[in-house]
Formats: sequence, C-alpha cells, structure tokens
Amino acid sequence: MRDQIDKYMGKLLADRSACPDGIAFAAQDDVLITAGAPGLAELAGNTLSRLNSLALVAARPSLPFADFLIARTDAEEECIVPQDTETRTFLHDIPFLRQKDLSGDPAPVLAKLLGNRKGVIVEGVGIVAVGAITVEQAFINYSSVFHSTFVKYLQDVLADGFRLPGEREAFEAFRSQWLRPLSAAGLDFVPSLPGDKEAILAEIERVGRYTVERGLVDSFFGNISAVAGELIYISQTAASLDELKGCIDPVPADNSSTTGITASSELLAHRKIYEQTGSRVILHGHPKFAVVMSMLCDRKKECSIKDCWKDCPHVRDLGGTPVVAGEIGAGGLAKRVPPVIGASGSAIVYGHGVFTLGREGFGEAFATMVDVENFCREEYFRRVEEML
Amino acid sequence: MFGWTGKLLHVDLTRGTCERREIPTEILHAYLGGRGLGVRLMRDFFRLDPFDPEMPIIFAVGPLCGTNSPTAARLACVSRSPLTGTIYDCSAGGRFAWRLKAAGLDAVFITGQSDRPVFLAIDGARTELLPAGALWGKGVKETVASLKERGSVTAIGPAGENGVLFANIMMGEGNSIGRGGLGAVMGGKRLKAITVQGEGTTPVADRERFEAARGDVMRLFRASPVIFGELGISEYGTPALVDLMAQRRMAPTENFRATFFADSGNYSGPAIKRECGAKKEGCYGCPIQCKKASAQGEALPEYETVNHFGALNGISDLHAIVRANSLCNELGMDTISAAATLSAFGEARGRFPDPTEVATLLADIACRRGEGELLSLGSRRAAEHLGRREVSMSVKSLELPAYDPRGAYGMALAYATSNRGGCHLRAYPISHEILRKPVPTDRFSFSGKARIIKIAEDVNAAVDSLVACKFAFFGATLEEYGELLTAVTGVEYGPELLKTIGERIYLTERFYNCENGFSRADDTLPERFFTEPGSGGEGIDVPPVDRERFSEELQKYYRIRGLDENGSFGGRNILEEIP
Repeated sequence: MRDQIDKYMGKLLADRSACPDGIAFAAQDDVLITAGAPGLAELAGNTLSRLNSLALVAARPSLPFADFLIARTDAEEECIVPQDTETRTFLHDIPFLRQKDLSGDPAPVLAKLLGNRKGVIVEGVGIVAVGAITVEQAFINYSSVFHSTFVKYLQDVLADGFRLPGEREAFEAFRSQWLRPLSAAGLDFVPSLPGDKEAILAEIERVGRYTVERGLVDSFFGNISAVAGELIYISQTAASLDELKGCIDPVPADNSSTTGITASSELLAHRKIYEQTGSRVILHGHPKFAVVMSMLCDRKKECSIKDCWKDCPHVRDLGGTPVVAGEIGAGGLAKRVPPVIGASGSAIVYGHGVFTLGREGFGEAFATMVDVENFCREEYFRRVEEML
Repeated sequence: MFGWTGKLLHVDLTRGTCERREIPTEILHAYLGGRGLGVRLMRDFFRLDPFDPEMPIIFAVGPLCGTNSPTAARLACVSRSPLTGTIYDCSAGGRFAWRLKAAGLDAVFITGQSDRPVFLAIDGARTELLPAGALWGKGVKETVASLKERGSVTAIGPAGENGVLFANIMMGEGNSIGRGGLGAVMGGKRLKAITVQGEGTTPVADRERFEAARGDVMRLFRASPVIFGELGISEYGTPALVDLMAQRRMAPTENFRATFFADSGNYSGPAIKRECGAKKEGCYGCPIQCKKASAQGEALPEYETVNHFGALNGISDLHAIVRANSLCNELGMDTISAAATLSAFGEARGRFPDPTEVATLLADIACRRGEGELLSLGSRRAAEHLGRREVSMSVKSLELPAYDPRGAYGMALAYATSNRGGCHLRAYPISHEILRKPVPTDRFSFSGKARIIKIAEDVNAAVDSLVACKFAFFGATLEEYGELLTAVTGVEYGPELLKTIGERIYLTERFYNCENGFSRADDTLPERFFTEPGSGGEGIDVPPVDRERFSEELQKYYRIRGLDENGSFGGRNILEEIP
C-alpha cells in the first residue's frame, strides 16, 4: 500500500489542494502504516486504528476556505451543508470540529465523526477523510471536501461578503497567487478524430489527462467520450480521467451488448447528445467557477421551487452557455442537457459541471470548456467587486 | 418500540404448539434482525445435526421491513446447512417478509418435527398448524396456488420433501431461499409451507429524517450505472453481467476448465430481453425491479443460472436454460448447485449433459431416483463417490457461482473465507473488482484484499440484518442506510456501528463453524484454480491463482480477524464476550 500512498500524495501535490508540508496518510492491512507530515501522520494513524476502514488522509488545505466556513457558522452548528450536486449526493454534509473543542488527543472524537461521514474538517488542522476500502477512496473524499468547501466559500462570499479578520487578504492572495491563468495553450489535439479504435482511445486518454492537469475536475472525476460509427467510446464509472488506459468502454449504439454496464453514469446523456447534435466528442468536467456561478439565480426570492438543482425547469444563461437543472445519472440531466447543448456547444448543469462538444475532435470541446470556466471566473470576480 | 415488533413466534412441530415470545430489546439492538438475529438465536443449537428434529429453522425480518425503505422487504432464513455443515443464512425478498412484519413478528423460530405433513398458517395474531398431506409431493406452483387465499406463501417442492441437499425454500412470488439446502431442513420437519398475512404497520420514529434519507438513497440509485443505467440490472436483470464476464474472461465454462464461452451471447441480457420478451419484475416494494419475467409471466433466470446451465455445461440454447430454471423453481432446487453438480458429473463421466438430459436429471435429483440419488447429495459428495473429488468445484461443499476466482483475486479469497462456503455474496468483491463500486480495485492483485474482504464481510452481515438487498449497495452505502435505520428505530446507527454489528455476526458464525470442526484446511479453493490457467484472450491473461500469495493473504485475513494461524479462536470463547 506504500506505493498507493506515494501515488496519492503526489496527486495532492499536483492538484495543489494541500500544502506540501501538510499531508499525511495512514493505511492498514494486517499492520498499520503511516506516512507524511509527522504530526498529521500520528493523528491519521491514531484515527484510522479506531475505524473499520482501510485508509485515511489528513492534510492541510492549500486554501483557508474550510476554516473560514467554520468561523462563519453560528456557534450551535456542527456541520457544513454543501449545495453543489456532486458533494451533496455523496457527502450529504461535512461535520467539523472547532479548535476550541479540541483537547488532548482528537483521534477518538474524529474517529466517531468519521464513523458516520466520509470527511471531516478540523479547524486549524485540516481536512481528514477516510477511504473505506482503498487509499484512492481517501484521496477522493479529501478532494470532494476540498471542492465542496471551495465552492461553498465562494458562494458565501458573494452572498455575504467578508466577515472575518484576514478574509479579504486571503481572498486576494487566492485570486492573485493561487489561481493560475486557465487556457488550452500548449496542449496537442488531433484536429479531426479518426475512426480507428486505437487512435480514439489514445486521444481520449490524453484529453482526460489534460482535463485533470488543467484543474477542470474535482479529484479526477468527470467523463469523456467519442462516437465512431455504431460505437460510443466512453470513460468508465469511477475512472480517473488522468489514468484512462484500460478504462474506456466501447458501447454499441443499439445496446446489443451490456459490457458498458461499467460505463460512466452519464452514458445516457452522452448518447442523447450525440443523437441530437451530431457531434463527434463530448467532454464533461466540474470546473469550480462554473459550478459556483450555475447556482446563482436572480429569481430565487420569488420562486416557489426549493430543490432548484433538480426541479428548476428554466434554461438560464451564462455568457451564452445554457444552464439547466438535473440530477446525475438517470435523474434528469440526460433529459435537459441534450436539447440545449447543440447551439453553443456547451451546457452547464446546476451545481454540477459543464458539458462541451467537439464536431471534429477534442480541441474544440476542451477550448470551449476553458472558455466557459474563464467566463464564469471573470463574471464571479466582477460580481464580487460589484458587491463589495 | 419503533422498527421492531419485539415478538418471535415459537413453533414446536413435535408438540404442535405455537406461541408468541418476547425478544429482548438489547438483542434486537445488537443484532438488528434478519441474519444477525437468526444467527444469535442459533447460539444454543448450532452443534446439532442439520436434520436433528430440534434443529431450528428461523425466518427473521429486519427493522426496515414494513417501511418503504428501498429494497428492505426482505427476510433471512437461518439454520445449519445439510450441504455444507456450516451455519447458514439466505436473504430473500418478497411480500412474505412484509406480511410477516405486518403480522406483528420479527421472527418465526421453528423447531421439532411433525409426525405428518403440515403447513403453518399465520393470520395476524392467529396461528395454526394445519394438515398438508394433500400438498405433499406437489410442485411449488400448485402448492402456492392452493394456499394463496391465506396470504403470502413460502413452500418447499419435492426436492425439499425428499431431502435433496441443495433444496430451496421457494417464496410464492418467485424468490427463493437458496443455496444451502434449507428446503431439506424444512422438509425433514415435514413442514410443507408457511402462509402469512397481517395488517399491522411499522411505525417510523422520525418521518422527516426518514424521507430525507430515502431521498438520498434513491438519488444514489439513479447515479449508479449498475442499478439504473441503461445497461444496468434494472433494465436487463443480473444477466446484464453475461457480456461483461465474457469480456473479462472470467465466465466459468465446462466445469471451470475454461473461463470463456463463445456462445454466451445467446443468453446475454439483451438476448433474453429479445427472445423472451423480458419485462421488469422484482421484490415487493423494490424500486430496482431487477427480476425479469417472460411475456407469459414465467420467472426468467438470473446471471448465475444462465451461466451455469449454459457455459458450465456447454449449453448455448437459451430456451433450454430457461426450461431448466423453471424446472428447478418448480421442484424447489437451487439452480447454481444443481447446474454445478451436473457439470461436475459431466466432467467425471467425460460428457456434459445435453438439454434433454438436463431436464431428466433434474427431475431424478428432486425425486432421488436413478443417478439423481447420488447427484442429490451435491457435487462434493457425488464426486467423492465417483472417485473424482477434484471435479467438485466447491468450497466447504458449496458449489461455486459464476465468477471464476482466477479472474478476481478478492473473489478467490472471499470464496475461501465465506462462512457459508463458496458464495459470492458474503463479501461481494465483484462490486469493486468488476463493477467499480464504490471504487475500482485491481482484480489481478491481492494487495489490500485481506482487509477489504474483512470489511466487506462485516458490511454485508449488517446489510443482511437490516435486511436490505446487496444490489442497493451498488449505489448507496451504510451511511444512507444507517440514516434510514436511525430514522425508523429512533436509535442512532452510523456506518461504523453497523460494521461493528456486522463483525459481531461474522465472528459468531465463524465461531460456530470452528466449533463444528472447520479450520484453515477448509478455507481454500479447488486445486484446479492453483494449477490451471483460464481462457486468456483480447489482451487479458488469466493465469492460475498464485498459491503462495493466496496463503499469505489468507494469513493476513486471519490476523485482521484476530484468529490464529489455523483460522480458529485459539480456545477463546467469543460468545462470552458479546451480547
């Protein structure tokens, strides 16, 4: 398991979600092992040894948003409730421990919280996330909590402004130092995707890697596909977009085989998009600013719909990209995205992520996703400045 | 009390008595229901021979049954298996479980032996033992039809009456209590059937919390390609796995001599849908509806069944496979063990049975006549009698299902450690090794599998005690089901506590087995898997399982479980340590 720990420690460094000197893992098979920053490693080991799970990560996030969220909550609150679809679906809520409530060894109380939820925020310490059966799962859960707190904090700032000492400065540092320009520059794409299987698989693998490397997903989730004749080549469910070799299912258009049962949960959406647009490729990611902006709605006060993320029937607009509601998988997204995505080549799903198309290859789809996220980023900061 | 009724119906067939008894609340809280409760109630009886008249057979529902918790209209049947000699439980869905709860019962505990065929009739608070002489010898359909006015029916067929060691107990709606031969235990008691109806409801402690948790579960079902995906089990039933197992080169073929059957497309999910007009059916109240029926209403075979009456016996005729499935259901026999026993017999004699002979042999097995007398004992005993012990592809005498262990090493380990013998459902590593849920693991690696299997065994013991369907966990987790349980019962249960309960149940079962002589020597696979490769192809190599790594991982598993090198408790009596 040490190789797995090394691998996912590397991923946390690569995606810059954790401080380089603040990452630790613990894993247990018949023996418990720990690795990383000594203090956190001890906490990770002491916590995991109390759990009937295989792995745990304890890391200090590279942004202070999680701590700010805790400090901004009322004194009686014990958890953060994320609003974005992905994290709400899988995390439900994120419990936290306040610094003032920590005394002695926090491992017992931490283990108790992790006995009920996948990730916990410990104020002043970091995010602690558990992996029930793999080290990768601990990494995914850490990333989900990081993504969720990122999105929620940006939403809260836009709604309520800064409320704590140091928030404004941290936010400015985030904007000027942590964020990097987003572009497709320097990436190679096959201009017109050929029809042969090997070339298609190679291009999907490469573009999947680009999508992770440019930060267009949380952890490594999202999905990607290309159509060739009667086959849709689509990434498998729970596949790392940056490691797609061997994880792409060829699915017959007529459903004459069920080998694609392991395909992405968005297979139906992809199929219907192809049917309605005639596009060649589809890229789906979870770029953070698009997720944040998709949840802003001017009509919330007068609207009677409460579960906007699944029930909103309206098509809104973000810089020319339609925004629709819909749950993931068989829950509605597959109905609402296909009719609206053709005109602009992109669509945003409320609180979830972005779908983009390519008529010939992935270059267009990738560039469109970058454009959508850049528009949302700029629009977000424009609104923050306007509000402040 | 919310969730539970706190009542058990104690039936003594020898004395002809039925009485309602209290179940201590602390036992319900510690074991939940279903499998856990049944295993706990076996504590004073687990050493008895399976056919000893005093050996109980227990039907237990769970605290979620009677609510609209997804997939929870289920029960567990628990006793000691005459096929394996192990403690045994089987989970089954259907209206029967729901009505048992509605009759105000958490469990029915049946002991003794009637001197004549009877059936047990439960109608709310009223319970009777009634003559079943006219039903004895009848098939399952006729038996169910005769009794349906009395509510939901569970019954045995001729196989159970005649003591076939893999006889099922069949639920009236087409579900079965399968694999370990509990139908023979019921038959040995001369209990032909149980009918039940009731009007009671299961109160929910916190309705708002319940609805929120239910919404979370359903959202995860919709997000799961395996459950509600367009190629998933809701659409095609478990035969959706046929194409996948063929592609992964791990479909047991010709008694596990190969792992790829070129004609498996004849009985794939899409083929069954096309050829049989398969329509959705399922357990009562289940949103998934993974069972399929023909246009005429005939229950269609599951994945395990199509593979074992198909590839395992070299048969490619879908309609012959459907007929074999129907025949097993009518006679009350387990399809996996029946087909695997025929396959072992086929290898031993040098010829697998053709479709016509399959039908003849199945009838002979149920009636224990001709060659059926020997085959009714299951593959291990039959193979030993034929002097070919090696052709029985079983673990602890339970025939292996349709996932070749050379294609998934977690599955290899889990077959060996399963407390009820060669079963895929105890740890269900296919979920992550093949179906990528909750996350994928490397199927050709043992790394981490000892811990993973241990955790999964604990989780599934809890799931079987809720009682929920394991297919629900292709989407949801114990987090959401813990919320449901808390909302229903008013008692706080989280995933970690549920795993602790599962561990308690698992260790109890293991202890029973060890006390009955099981040890490390029984925790292994048939020799073939260590010495012969599977059918590689399309870039996939299927080598034999590495015996040394297998043994190493098994020892890790023992250490994680707190067992000694022999897989035993080293003189420790864990029953004294747990409620």
